[in-house]
Amino acid sequence: MHMADALVAPAVAGTMYVCSTAAAAYSVKKARLDADPKKVPVMGVMGAFVFATQMINFTIPGTGSSGHLCGGMLLSALLGPYAGFLTMIGVLLIQCLLFADGGLLALGCNVWNMAFYGCFLGSLLIWKPMMKQGMSKVKIVAASILGCVLTLQLGAFSVTLETLASGITELPFAVFAGTMQPIHIAIGFVEGLITAAVLVFVYESRPELLFCSTDAEKKEGRFSFQHTMAILAVSAMLIGGLLSLAASSNPDGLEWSIEKVAGSTELEAEGGVYEAADSIQETTSLLPDYAWRGSESASGTVFSGIAGGIAVTAVCVGACYLFKFFRKDRKTT
Amino acid sequence: MSKISGAIHEIHHMDTLSSRDQWVNQIHPLVKFVLTLVYISAVVSFHKYDVAGVAGMAVYPAAVFILADLSFLDSLKRLRLVLPLVCFVGILNPFLDNNVILFQGIPVSAGILSMATLVMKGIFSVLASYLLIATTSVEKLCYAFCLLHIPRAAVTQFLLTYRYITVLLGEVDRITQAYMLRAPQQKGIHFKAWGSLAGLLLLRSMDRANEVYESMLLRGFQGDYQYMRERISFRFWDILYFVFWAAVFILFRLYPIVLLAGAVFQR
Amino acid sequence: MSHIHIDMEKVSFGYEKGNEILRQITFHASETDSVGLIGANGMGKSTFLKMLVGLNLNFTGSIRIEEIPVQAGTLAQIRSRIGYVFQDSDSQLFMNTAYEDVAFAPRNYGLPEEEVEKRVEKALRMTGIAHLKEKQIYKMSGGEKKLVSIATILSMTPDIILMDEPSIALDPRNRRNLIHILNSFDHLKIIASHDLDLILDTCERTVLMTNGKIIADGLTKDILTDKMLLEENGLELPFCMQYK
Repeated sequence: MHMADALVAPAVAGTMYVCSTAAAAYSVKKARLDADPKKVPVMGVMGAFVFATQMINFTIPGTGSSGHLCGGMLLSALLGPYAGFLTMIGVLLIQCLLFADGGLLALGCNVWNMAFYGCFLGSLLIWKPMMKQGMSKVKIVAASILGCVLTLQLGAFSVTLETLASGITELPFAVFAGTMQPIHIAIGFVEGLITAAVLVFVYESRPELLFCSTDAEKKEGRFSFQHTMAILAVSAMLIGGLLSLAASSNPDGLEWSIEKVAGSTELEAEGGVYEAADSIQETTSLLPDYAWRGSESASGTVFSGIAGGIAVTAVCVGACYLFKFFRKDRKTT
Repeated sequence: MSKISGAIHEIHHMDTLSSRDQWVNQIHPLVKFVLTLVYISAVVSFHKYDVAGVAGMAVYPAAVFILADLSFLDSLKRLRLVLPLVCFVGILNPFLDNNVILFQGIPVSAGILSMATLVMKGIFSVLASYLLIATTSVEKLCYAFCLLHIPRAAVTQFLLTYRYITVLLGEVDRITQAYMLRAPQQKGIHFKAWGSLAGLLLLRSMDRANEVYESMLLRGFQGDYQYMRERISFRFWDILYFVFWAAVFILFRLYPIVLLAGAVFQR
Repeated sequence: MSHIHIDMEKVSFGYEKGNEILRQITFHASETDSVGLIGANGMGKSTFLKMLVGLNLNFTGSIRIEEIPVQAGTLAQIRSRIGYVFQDSDSQLFMNTAYEDVAFAPRNYGLPEEEVEKRVEKALRMTGIAHLKEKQIYKMSGGEKKLVSIATILSMTPDIILMDEPSIALDPRNRRNLIHILNSFDHLKIIASHDLDLILDTCERTVLMTNGKIIADGLTKDILTDKMLLEENGLELPFCMQYK
């Protein structure tokens, strides 16, 4: 769901930067980093943890594909909304700078779409109210799945809105949203399950690490984790089956290729989507050739465009080499 | 898992690049950071049919690649994440936007134009941030963040994440390798091990965070984040570099330089 | 320099009641003593060292470092006199380059930048790694990281040095180098290790711990040659003595 710079208009990017910065400033204040100096190393290391574990492929039972951990929800369940949000920003910034995963200009959007919903809504609206009356495994699993699905839904919806507001795609709103949302239900569900598995493990071994835990927390094993997982796996397969039914009943293959675009990094399914897209690409290259069938005056403009491009490039490259030459010269003398 | 060792390698590589003694590497980090943002904004803000305008913006990456002695081929693999995404979004435009517009007097399918600009925008913006990080170390960027009044605690947290990413990636690499060696048939982690595999790593990471904190305490840490040896000051060159490029961006953004240059030739 | 000394009187400590890790420890060291701390796994060596720098505070008994009692209010004072080298260098070194990490402590003690630089250079010279000054920590080998860890505490100019398993993960040459460096310090030092040969080469005095108690405390050459005593406590003779 990382947005690239090319997909956002400066106005949209700027707006989202303002929103995300405001949320970050509020978090810095609320996280009280100065009052508890231990928080900073914990946040730093947990950021690295999320980054590293997002590279693990977790096999989804019964399918050939794999899912990944949902960082936002995990961090908010461990560190709370504010510290979790700040940690997530660090992760997104490193992904963007060092791995070109998400753009620098689009960082504001990405922080909002992925970190804000995951940490603030996931933590304050779902985790905290659910854990208020004491924790249990079932509650943790439910909260994780609910949180991941909800935050991914909101995130996907924001991606749709931001892309449309930027005027990048010609897709009508309904088509775009209608394809973004369902696929992210599936992704959210899988991410929720994986996140739940990790959180349940933490709950069983060191419950005091979890946000909102009380020291008097007692372990109760009413419902074993594997039991829960089995039930959830069955329902996941049911939902997955229904979704794919709905998909195959849809004659328009185009929509599914967009989905692939939208959710490209989350679910690594081997499929015919890429091939389908390839064939689309072939057809587009054979599209009407009226583009260059222009009149004589038009060919003149084409000439000027090309010549101008070459000239500008030549001047630029030449200037750079000259500049470098003189710099070296000065260094040696 | 080659993906993980690839990531570690990538970090090493960027670090090697940014620590080279090149002229561009010496430019003040804040100057480069702001210029990169301005450049990307300028590129992205071109009208979706303005192919020539966007193409002209290639001067900046072209120049910096030469000035910083960076390999263009090397940077291409960074496009692997962005290009498919942008192409897939753009590929629909020729289908959905069937208008024919006059491009400098030639009738062209508008969808193709908008696709071309989108792809170019995608490439240029990725190259620009590549050039930033390939000529500026993360520590220096953090110094720029401090100048932008981002709280020290947040910057420290970012630096710590950067520091421990390689450590934890190494751990994940070892864990998954150990898993795969004992489960050669599986492509990923079986769901029975989901919780314990990542969970144990999480607990270990928490313990490590604790030790880091103790290590800070034992060396006199009392809640102040004082570091950054060099107060990097703005030199004449930094300001000139900034003014020059800012002027170029504005010029190329406001005037169709490429076409004007071509018109000179035609006469 | 007669002010340097450590005094522990009847110290007991445990995370849970009834399950004590340290029991009734009484221990004194002073001046330039070099003490080896040995014992099988999980016998309380690391806990012992952590007590001295106040990382575990709810103990009973009394610990005094240079006449200052170890308690919540005196930690800053005590920690400025003690250097503690962690077992895991990656946890100890949290900055990105060697220079920044070694400079962390002097900066926290409010020294001006020129003084910081002097201290860092000196610490790096003492450990023989001046060439690693600008190197990224994550690019270093285990041996290099260990030497940087030692430099980070030398830059604090401590009176007392505590080390937890310093020779772990070092190759023979780095280990030899480490022994050489350790012997060149005339600080009071306590080294906890399973590497008995290292203790033999660096410490005059040895303390043997089992189940949280000090079983033996005496000259290294007496304790490390006592095969019976060592084997009763889950250890073996140092390698260099096994085939003599």
